[in-house]
Amino acid sequence: MNRYLYDGTADGLLSSIAWILEEEPDPEKVTLRERMDTLFEEGFTIGTDATLAESLFFRLKQHAPDAAHTLYSFMLAEKEGMETSLLHYVSLAFKHGDKVKGYLTHPAVRDIVNVAKKAGRELHRMKGLLRFEKLQDGAYLAKMEPDYNIINPLAYHFSRRLRAQHWFLYDVKRRTAARWNNGTLQFGTIEQFTTPALSEEEKKVQELWKAFFKTIAIPDRKNPHLQKSNMPMKYWKYLVEKQGE
Amino acid sequence: MDTLAKLQILSGAARYDASCASSGSKREGPSCGTGNTSSSGICHSWADDGRCISLLKILLSNDCIYDCAYCVNRSTNPVERASFSAREVIDLTLDFYRRNYIEGLFLSSAVMQSPDQTMERMVRVAEALRTEEQFGGYIHMKIIPGSSSELVRKAGLYADRISVNIELPSQASLQRLAPQKHKHAILEPMALIGREITTSLVERKASHRAPRFAPAGQSTQMIIGASPENDFQILRLSQGLYKKMNLKRVYYSAYVPVIADNRLPVLAAPPLLREHRLYQADWLLRFYGFSAEEILSDDAPHLDESFDPKTAWALRHPEFFPVEINGADYATLLRVPGIGVLSAKRIVAARRFSRITPDGLKKIGVVIKRAKYFITCSGRSFEKPDQPPALIRQRLLLGESSEAPMSILPKQLVLPGLIA
Repeated sequence: MNRYLYDGTADGLLSSIAWILEEEPDPEKVTLRERMDTLFEEGFTIGTDATLAESLFFRLKQHAPDAAHTLYSFMLAEKEGMETSLLHYVSLAFKHGDKVKGYLTHPAVRDIVNVAKKAGRELHRMKGLLRFEKLQDGAYLAKMEPDYNIINPLAYHFSRRLRAQHWFLYDVKRRTAARWNNGTLQFGTIEQFTTPALSEEEKKVQELWKAFFKTIAIPDRKNPHLQKSNMPMKYWKYLVEKQGE
Repeated sequence: MDTLAKLQILSGAARYDASCASSGSKREGPSCGTGNTSSSGICHSWADDGRCISLLKILLSNDCIYDCAYCVNRSTNPVERASFSAREVIDLTLDFYRRNYIEGLFLSSAVMQSPDQTMERMVRVAEALRTEEQFGGYIHMKIIPGSSSELVRKAGLYADRISVNIELPSQASLQRLAPQKHKHAILEPMALIGREITTSLVERKASHRAPRFAPAGQSTQMIIGASPENDFQILRLSQGLYKKMNLKRVYYSAYVPVIADNRLPVLAAPPLLREHRLYQADWLLRFYGFSAEEILSDDAPHLDESFDPKTAWALRHPEFFPVEINGADYATLLRVPGIGVLSAKRIVAARRFSRITPDGLKKIGVVIKRAKYFITCSGRSFEKPDQPPALIRQRLLLGESSEAPMSILPKQLVLPGLIA
């Protein structure tokens, strides 16, 4: 059984997978993990090649668009220690096409699909739970602390939705930000974040929303358990309607 | 009155409407405007009753000339009255949408002076949102029964979904509890909407520039437990609405006693369990290939309280089981209690690769707690075969912990049928 190592980057991971699929007669029999540079580390290190990584993703998208989407969602989760599973998953995806997602009796497929599903679920949830605040200069800012690194697809979603607005997304833990202005989307990192002043009307609109949130619930049907299972408390920090409760 | 006070009155008055879906419509937003729609729909929050909030659900006005017995806004109920101006609704929608609080607007209204006058004011709000404000988000509009077909058509051109509430499951109950509403005034616009949707779909196949008509379809709602109809009557009505009127959804709303009236039943609490069972049966109609006549009959016209309708059906039909996991087709798998659409699809997909073992069944995420009495895996049973239904019934009752939260719900004390 051959062991392979890569440099720990996303590009490194994908290009190693591409390399192994090309060179190994039976990719499902080899392992792949991150190089730690320890003394007795065994394995052959594969170099990183961004073009190779990109072409792998592109070929998979042509061959099995659903599986490519799963791969994309899986990468958002930034999971470590699942490289071998991913390698086997991609290999199976080239073999079986999109039907691979039904191969849940295979441990690698199950692991990858489950992680991808969790990341996909948080992305969908965040499309609803993100809250923008209007700043003094008229721009809108939304802060969040998602478990997964979803700022990219999330920003894309809002670029189709809030087109006429100037807005920012800020991932507080990863210190990454997205900005949409005049039809262009940019990504970057923020070293020092200072909360800008809010616009005058912001408080008033937030009060209206809080009032709506309160009265729309039917008092005879109170169900805090259901509320929490649909909207876990870890997201409440930035929810306007859950402040000062 | 300021907007905040109005919002409190007019959202409080709209909360008994069960519909909150924002799905079924996919629209790219206008390039210089605000909003688009996503076909899967998006929930933006969950209220204290656990229901999802995706739309700004409000009435344009709660100042009603009608006197429907079950309604909090009935003209003889001494509640505070308020009406929004079009501007107020538009500003609220846009202010909320820009902050990502909502997916769009759900606009309903009490009947102010006449159905037409009310409907016209509602349509004006939607029109202004779409044309003046370039709003591309979701709009759900209620049709006021009795409004002209011209206004219904206009509403369908601006809204993603339109709905006419059927309110009560029979003409007799309508006459008794909502004497100003008539069956034909409800069913006529429904039929009209159904026809317009079909026409628009055909025209859009020929040309993408043809106007959309209510692309997310039409829905309706009825109140459960305010009138004496049994579950069989209700299910048959829903079945007819799905088949003949092409409705997307029928919503059931457990009757919440908001005011006392001697025409209404006295309930200790809203009949939530009954509502839950009706939704389960409704799902069987729409996604599981069941008919109302299979689920209930004139001899047994009420849904079982202790079992979901599919389990109840399975216990009555031992001849259908056991179902072989590695051989049965999708439609047959769907009839197994505990196997839903997702599980049935997973089983069919996994079978392409290898035979499914009992362990494999768990691995692909199929819960066999209830299913185990009704299936075999490559000929092997999970339980002793040929147990009499009565025994399975008992064992299911003992082991049904997934259904436990429902059993602590308050039960209906007085059946509505008893007070007619």
